[in-house]
Amino acid sequence: MTLAALTPRLRELLEPDAVITDPVRLRTYECDGLTYHRATPGVVVLPETAEQIAAIVRLCNEHGTPFVARGSGTGLSGGALPRTDGVLVVTSRMRRILEIDIPNRRAVVEPGVTNLAITEAVRAQGYYYAPDPSSQQVCSIGGNVAENSGGAHCLKYGFTVNHVQACEIVTPDGEIVRLDRVDAGYDLLGAFVGSEGTLGIATKITVRLSRTPESVITVLAAYDSIEEGGKAVSAIIGAGIVPAAIEMMDALAIEAAEAAVACRYPDNAGAVLIVELDGPRAEVDRQFAQLKEICSGAFELRVAADAIERAAIWRGRKSAFAAVGRISPAYIVQDGVVPRTSLPQVLASIDRLSAEHGIRVANVFHAGDGNLHPLVLFDDAEPGAGERAEIVSGAILDLCIEHGGSITGEHGVGVDKSRYMPKMFSDDDLDTMQLVRCAFDPRGLSNPGKVFPTPRLCGEVPGVRRGVHPLVEAGKAEQF
Amino acid sequence: MIEGVTVRQAGPDDAVAGVQPKWVALPESVEEIAAVMRACAERDLAVVPVGGGTKLHWGRRPDRCDVLLDLCCLNEVVEHAAGDLVVRVQAGATMEALAATLAAKGQELALDVPLEGATVGGTLATATAGPRSFRYGTPRDLLIGVTVVLADGTVARSGGKVVKNVAGYDLGKLFTGSYGTLGVIAEATFRLHPLPADRRWVSTSLPAAVIGDSSSELPLSPVPLLRALAASQAEPSAITLDWPDMQAPFTVCALVEGAAAAERAEELRAVLAEEGGRLGGGEWPTKPVAGAEAPDGWARLPGDELLIEIRTLATWADMVMTAVRDAAHVTELPAKARMWLADHLVTHVALPGDAGPAAVAAFVSSLRAAVDSGEPRATVRILAAPEEAARRVDRWGPVGGLSLMRRVKEQFDPGRRMSPGRFVGGI
Amino acid sequence: MDPELIKDCVHCGFCLPTCPTYVLWGEEMDSPRGRIHLMAQHVEGTPITPEMAGHFDACLGCMACVTACPSGVRYNRLIEQTRAVVEREHVRDPQERAVRGIVFGLFPYPRRLRLLRLPMRLSERMRPFLERVHPSLGAMAALAPKVERRQRLPRLVRARGPRRAVVGMLAGCVQREFFPQVNAATARVLALEGCDVVIPPSQGCCGALSVHSGREDQARRLAKRTIRTFERAGVSTVVVNAAGCGSSMKEYADLLAGEPGWAARAAALRVVDLAEWLAELGPAAKRHPLPLTVAYHDACHLAHAQGIRRQPRELLADIPGLSLREIPESEICCGSAGTYNIFQPEAARDLGDRKAAHVASVGADLLVSANPGCTMQIAAAMRRRDHPIRVAHTAEVLDASLRGVTL
Repeated sequence: MTLAALTPRLRELLEPDAVITDPVRLRTYECDGLTYHRATPGVVVLPETAEQIAAIVRLCNEHGTPFVARGSGTGLSGGALPRTDGVLVVTSRMRRILEIDIPNRRAVVEPGVTNLAITEAVRAQGYYYAPDPSSQQVCSIGGNVAENSGGAHCLKYGFTVNHVQACEIVTPDGEIVRLDRVDAGYDLLGAFVGSEGTLGIATKITVRLSRTPESVITVLAAYDSIEEGGKAVSAIIGAGIVPAAIEMMDALAIEAAEAAVACRYPDNAGAVLIVELDGPRAEVDRQFAQLKEICSGAFELRVAADAIERAAIWRGRKSAFAAVGRISPAYIVQDGVVPRTSLPQVLASIDRLSAEHGIRVANVFHAGDGNLHPLVLFDDAEPGAGERAEIVSGAILDLCIEHGGSITGEHGVGVDKSRYMPKMFSDDDLDTMQLVRCAFDPRGLSNPGKVFPTPRLCGEVPGVRRGVHPLVEAGKAEQF
Repeated sequence: MIEGVTVRQAGPDDAVAGVQPKWVALPESVEEIAAVMRACAERDLAVVPVGGGTKLHWGRRPDRCDVLLDLCCLNEVVEHAAGDLVVRVQAGATMEALAATLAAKGQELALDVPLEGATVGGTLATATAGPRSFRYGTPRDLLIGVTVVLADGTVARSGGKVVKNVAGYDLGKLFTGSYGTLGVIAEATFRLHPLPADRRWVSTSLPAAVIGDSSSELPLSPVPLLRALAASQAEPSAITLDWPDMQAPFTVCALVEGAAAAERAEELRAVLAEEGGRLGGGEWPTKPVAGAEAPDGWARLPGDELLIEIRTLATWADMVMTAVRDAAHVTELPAKARMWLADHLVTHVALPGDAGPAAVAAFVSSLRAAVDSGEPRATVRILAAPEEAARRVDRWGPVGGLSLMRRVKEQFDPGRRMSPGRFVGGI
Repeated sequence: MDPELIKDCVHCGFCLPTCPTYVLWGEEMDSPRGRIHLMAQHVEGTPITPEMAGHFDACLGCMACVTACPSGVRYNRLIEQTRAVVEREHVRDPQERAVRGIVFGLFPYPRRLRLLRLPMRLSERMRPFLERVHPSLGAMAALAPKVERRQRLPRLVRARGPRRAVVGMLAGCVQREFFPQVNAATARVLALEGCDVVIPPSQGCCGALSVHSGREDQARRLAKRTIRTFERAGVSTVVVNAAGCGSSMKEYADLLAGEPGWAARAAALRVVDLAEWLAELGPAAKRHPLPLTVAYHDACHLAHAQGIRRQPRELLADIPGLSLREIPESEICCGSAGTYNIFQPEAARDLGDRKAAHVASVGADLLVSANPGCTMQIAAAMRRRDHPIRVAHTAEVLDASLRGVTL
């Protein structure tokens, strides 16, 4: 009802082709990279400026209409799941690189610019943008900011939040505000990055550019088992080496990658370890000598001689998620974290879960920081298989929490994992986080229903309520 | 007064920026902090948390201060998981004590500590860092989990003890640099780094005289030199510029850490020789040298009774140097400056603690006028100053997003009991 | 639209940045992922709406998404099936129908194209008029190349030196009529490298344009005729120098899958691209120096549909004195895409301009492209930005080097 009133106003603000209401078109926006959750948006808008986004958000406020921001739609936690009663604000037309400032090692970009496009724009000058999620050629910086994206190389270089210097945002009430680390005051930028679109929409992002390392050595080590690979990882960390990346894949994940991109990893490997060292040549050479020693237990050790061979080693790893489609009709990508030293126990427990439920699990993980990506495989044509896969997937998260880890290392909570938040955090923790939400978005219009499982109505004193809010229970308040 | 918590009467030594509290509470656990906060909430008492007290004179004088919450008794390193490169530590532990514990296992929290005796909590609350933030970032970049106690006694955690974690809002970042105005930081978990196998400092002194006189633009600039160091693939961990006397030479220094530090230091020395030679011209007080010893005062502040911080783009070093010297010239105040390069160029300027309010106001306005360009932003703030000396200036300068900050404060501390008035916009 | 093929898509979005229309318009419905979603909607029962048909029509069929897809979605099959459904079920507006009628009544028929050669000399003067009548007609006129004198190719060109192979050669429709010099060069290069080249004079269109536009019946008819022609000529390998023709001919077996006899005959005929064949054969003839800076353009139907990227680059790079440059964003289509520049003139023009800007940035003397459509499209775009560039086919460059003449 409110949407019907809102749409003509949106048309006044935007170009005719930037307001989508045709039902067939709308449905193509019903999900992001996680197809499990779907909702056809009420209306889709494709703004081109921050001012347009601010105006759209103000209109939403006027009508009490929720809005959701979306970049390239590659998220894996349903963070950009639309609202049927709301506006989907898609930033895919805001993809200009506004400024490249090499002397100050920074670039200013619009939110729809892809992660890799920044690197491509500055590569010739010897710089790059460090965070590298596997979807880097397609995912947008705006989405990276919302999710605080990591990537294989965040072991050494950190996450999006460590590389963003400033953001211009449209606040949930439609104001354009600049959050800049040069300013005094609270680190609102730090709170904004990773808030999954619940604190507003980034419209301009200043990122740090990093110097291309002088030397990069990528090593592929094949082991008979995950356990042996795991020991090598411990030894690397124990030796005081911080590689740019340490990745591991198990036999099933290797099989999938092989089927998809013919990555030609060593035959019969129980696990492959990809270790990348980068930095000054002298430093890398020293560390490489140490690394060879540490990986002497591998039955095959390959060293990439050039960029093409490096890309060949990474191709299998980077395509792993989508590649399991080749060996299983359906699958769930999980994203949990455990302290690195708990990896062996947790992997053994995952094995047990897999056997117990008759559900195959392929493991791909960032071994350096304990970030697991179990791929829970099932056949959606087989009755009950989907449910069993859900059980295994959930049990893996429980394992992560038990071991003092996290329910998400980089994919975000989104709509998919909000129900696990109370297992990881107490009511007090969640209520305190809600205070931030209430400061930014007292009306709860910005990406409602994501991250947090139960509402606390803004203005209510925290710490008093326990459990479901009485108004919600009585059906008088809506749960967002 | 509060069940089970040690509380004593406050004395003159307990004053916070000149405001003497009535009591000093000495909790020994997170639960005791919560008990104190609940008790203060019931009685509407204002609380200022303190650790080592090294920066208690930073920020504005609190509007009121009834209870000084001394965290000295929460000083344990709770868990050092060396295999995971993670440590959980209580807020009252000193950075030195923490470093000693970590060093025993060959690890470190890669943060410089500009003031000796600072605690973990104080370092976080003021977000202090040093030159190594060029490589490792500032406290917020190394903090992975935090336990805080709010004004009403609610104990809340965010983050965790794994490095990679995007579940929920990052309260750690919000509390880092919040000057005690949102709640009490009780415990923190950090990601660690292996202690570098080797360290080398490379430095050279250059004549400030070539930076022109106070009436003109800089004829020569240290910027190309700083840029060349920052762009070097020898990957320095830190780049600094030390200028203790406006009339004397300044020193540019870079630190290299880790494997093959000596070879990499040689590369940087060559950069200094080439770029520095061009800058110094015929007159070059000290040729570039490399050494395994830190230079005097490395990573420390140039002074901290009256301390100004300037943040600008990295390439503004010459503009900042000219601005500082001009301000010193106009006000006839002897200024000492130290800069380090990270995402931004961070410059600290120390003035004598007894400088008069008019001179301080003139100094800060002169700086602000020189560096304020709108976009990209540059900021000048007074970190520390006696209340009298700073009474004629806005300590923080204009702040983007201030209304959002006020709303955050209002949510976390609606009764304005946490360090009221100490922070930006009177928060 | 095979639901099983649709299910292969896991919605990862890796195809988005490689899709020319997504690059232009930034909207989901005009990306491969969005189009597959539309196909799924149709399979679930939504009829083809004009909006839906518009998004399918806007697809250039460049297949860059097939290269980018980690899940191995066979988008090429999907869009071909979809186009056939659109042709069957969707009623286009009369003007659109008329233009499509002209094109499909013209291009697959070399004789009819030949009749066009004279009017095309006038087309430059007629363009403003044609543009007023219909933008598609204007686009056709703008693309028209300067036509070389027609060369009649012999039925058989004998190998020079020891004979290493016997191959058939597809002359193509557009290639034969508008770029006869490319066919002549192809035959000479093959002969100089030791191949007997059989060029059946009775050959016609291979059916590529029809396949790519959903006219499956016409496509099957033309495919069968082509197979029969080469069977009669007694060759088992056919060398093709037009990327679009080659990619379609390689899929004859799929196209004729419903007719087992024909499918087997299709499978027995080996179709190779010229560069692919020459790389496989290995060089025998001497290369003479060509002091040129060359930018190589990846034709979509060569790079994406046939996976041939390395071979032409190696062939060119092996020529002494020739310096090879890469064009930025080389994986994005130039906007030619068979008949696309005629049916979707605006999008094609935008893509052509984008490609021209990238080509201009390279600073080459010569642009090499292995597809007549690309050649016309990019040359036209370069003329528009007042930066005309010589365009040649890989065969012409090799021919010049092998014969020791300037290009």
